[in-house]
Amino acid sequence: MTTAIGLVVNPAAGRDIRRLTGGASVSNNYAKRRTAGCVLAGLTLVDDVDVLVMPDSTGLADRIVDDAPDDLGVEFVDMTVTASGRDSRAAAAHFADHADAVVVLGGDGTTRDVAQTIGDVPVVSISTGTNNVVPTPVDGTVAGAAAGLVGSGAVPAAEATTRHGTVEVDVVRSEETTVIRGLATVGVLDRPFVGTRAILDPSDIVGGVVSRSSPAEIGLSGIAGGLVTHRPDDPGGVGFRLSRDGESGATAPATRVKAITVPGNLSTVDVAEHRVLDDGEDYAFEVDRGVISVDGEREHEVRDGTVRLRPVSDGPRLVDVESVLERAADEGRFRLG
Amino acid sequence: MVVLDIETEDGQREALRRMLTIRAFDTKAADLFSDGELPGFVHLYVGEEAVGVGACSALESDDYITSTHRGHGHCIAKGLDPDLMMAELFGKANGYCNGKGGSMHIADVDAGMLGANGIVGAGPPLATGAALTSHLKGEDTVALAFFGDGAVAQGQVHEAINLAATWDLPAVFLVENNQYGEATPVEKQHNVQNLSETAEAYNIPGFTVDGMDITAVYEAVKEARKRAADGEGPTFIEAETYRYHGHFEGDQQPYRTEEDVAIWKDRDAIESFKRRLVDAGTITGAEFDEMKAEIDQQIEDAVGKAKDAAYPDPSEAYEDMFNAAVPEISDFSSGMRADGGEDR
Repeated sequence: MTTAIGLVVNPAAGRDIRRLTGGASVSNNYAKRRTAGCVLAGLTLVDDVDVLVMPDSTGLADRIVDDAPDDLGVEFVDMTVTASGRDSRAAAAHFADHADAVVVLGGDGTTRDVAQTIGDVPVVSISTGTNNVVPTPVDGTVAGAAAGLVGSGAVPAAEATTRHGTVEVDVVRSEETTVIRGLATVGVLDRPFVGTRAILDPSDIVGGVVSRSSPAEIGLSGIAGGLVTHRPDDPGGVGFRLSRDGESGATAPATRVKAITVPGNLSTVDVAEHRVLDDGEDYAFEVDRGVISVDGEREHEVRDGTVRLRPVSDGPRLVDVESVLERAADEGRFRLG
Repeated sequence: MVVLDIETEDGQREALRRMLTIRAFDTKAADLFSDGELPGFVHLYVGEEAVGVGACSALESDDYITSTHRGHGHCIAKGLDPDLMMAELFGKANGYCNGKGGSMHIADVDAGMLGANGIVGAGPPLATGAALTSHLKGEDTVALAFFGDGAVAQGQVHEAINLAATWDLPAVFLVENNQYGEATPVEKQHNVQNLSETAEAYNIPGFTVDGMDITAVYEAVKEARKRAADGEGPTFIEAETYRYHGHFEGDQQPYRTEEDVAIWKDRDAIESFKRRLVDAGTITGAEFDEMKAEIDQQIEDAVGKAKDAAYPDPSEAYEDMFNAAVPEISDFSSGMRADGGEDR
């Protein structure tokens, strides 16, 4: 039986303003093309694989398809290209019905877009974006091999994936409610507009809710991670509120925390309050003027609204690449004699 | 130039006004050209308004910009007077270049607008020169070059960036990637997928922003300007945008479909910014309509004034073109004056 693998390569990932304002590294498209080529090579570990590739407007996907190994069936997803995050969501919606596993090259934003519509299809997420929390910097060949093993059923998905949490947001303004969904982090920022999307100044952060936290992560999950560790597949999440201008805004004094807020920036922030949240438990902010950040990017402008955030354990099934390959090796799949 | 502070509500309304003014000006220019009323070619900026206004909003009043053949938007964004621009399009004596430059050569050095330019890729060397001047004189001005995706493949653009990068000059290089170099899609012109990758060759920061979002362009240029003014050298910014009209008026556009255009119009910069300001309560729908009607009338008035204005005297045909006196031209002008000039 043929195994269908979806491939999303975001040409825009790793190109934002953090190359100027922080120490973020450049992820150029030649590197993405090479990584995607490695993914395709890794997929040949299993037999009879078809690859469905998200098209783009830059020519990157064309080159990936042109360079594909001859023993793979490779074709484009039939979809309208908009040169925006809608493309990743549209491709993932197609993969939800037509793929056995998906490989994503991008950052947290790209992985979140895929997570919105991918359903239960296992996802291998490779980092090519900026200060990523969810995707991992793994070799493309290794990632492709893991995707092939899980997609083909050689390693059961149930034993090789973890369900990542998400953060659901209701932005309530007088008569209307806007619903937003983040993957690892959702923040409330004191900025007037979305702008370049990046979180440029840690002092803009008012607070947020994260579905995972660790001091080894960058951004909001790193701030929360300075206080409590919360694994991606733990139910619930962590909510926190920063003390701004020396005011704690809470009954207890602020807790001073060191955190890596953006690459190259080790910040000290005063946390007025933090709370481990149960699955579905609300954590609210009243916002006069601000912006909601989702997975490290400013996404939604808010004026005079209430922002209710809650962790929800219904995110994508992420493939643990290392355990997949080790499991396959244990079963002798790498032995030829 | 009135400096916009786009972080204030007044500044946001003024930014919206300038984007609307650009669209009204160029939409009118299209009508006038198709009616045969304008001499020469016009290349219109409709669709790209957020780039020009967003960038100029991040500059100081005495900063310099260089422009392209598609320069009307840059002029209005920098605060030039639409009346004098329209007069220039009509070739009238009260235009910015006394009627001798036309659409592709509008300049106003006093306003920091170093000129639209008919030569693709000619702006960046001028910006590097302006930045060098600022550096040598110890001034705190910055020079920003607007140029198109087609220009990125031009040699002089790379010379300009290389020099500015090597000497840490206060310049900003802003490529308006409107997806087509004349009739050629950008992916068929360049071997990189994001033009901002070009910056890596010069060891300067390069990044891509949404050119349909005025706030994104503003923030990007503001950061780049700060870097330039702080003596840290130039920055390369790619703004992804789209021109709704053809490369030139009359272009049959066989290289794209109506569906291609519709995808980008769905993200229209003016409409989306207006929606954000209405949502935020910065402007009401009625106030927006009033602003638009006022601007449309302003442009109609500019056309009327331009039509009524005088052409330059034929005896001055060769004036304003050379910095130093040219004897043959002086002789010609004297002769024309003696003859009383041509009967127009």
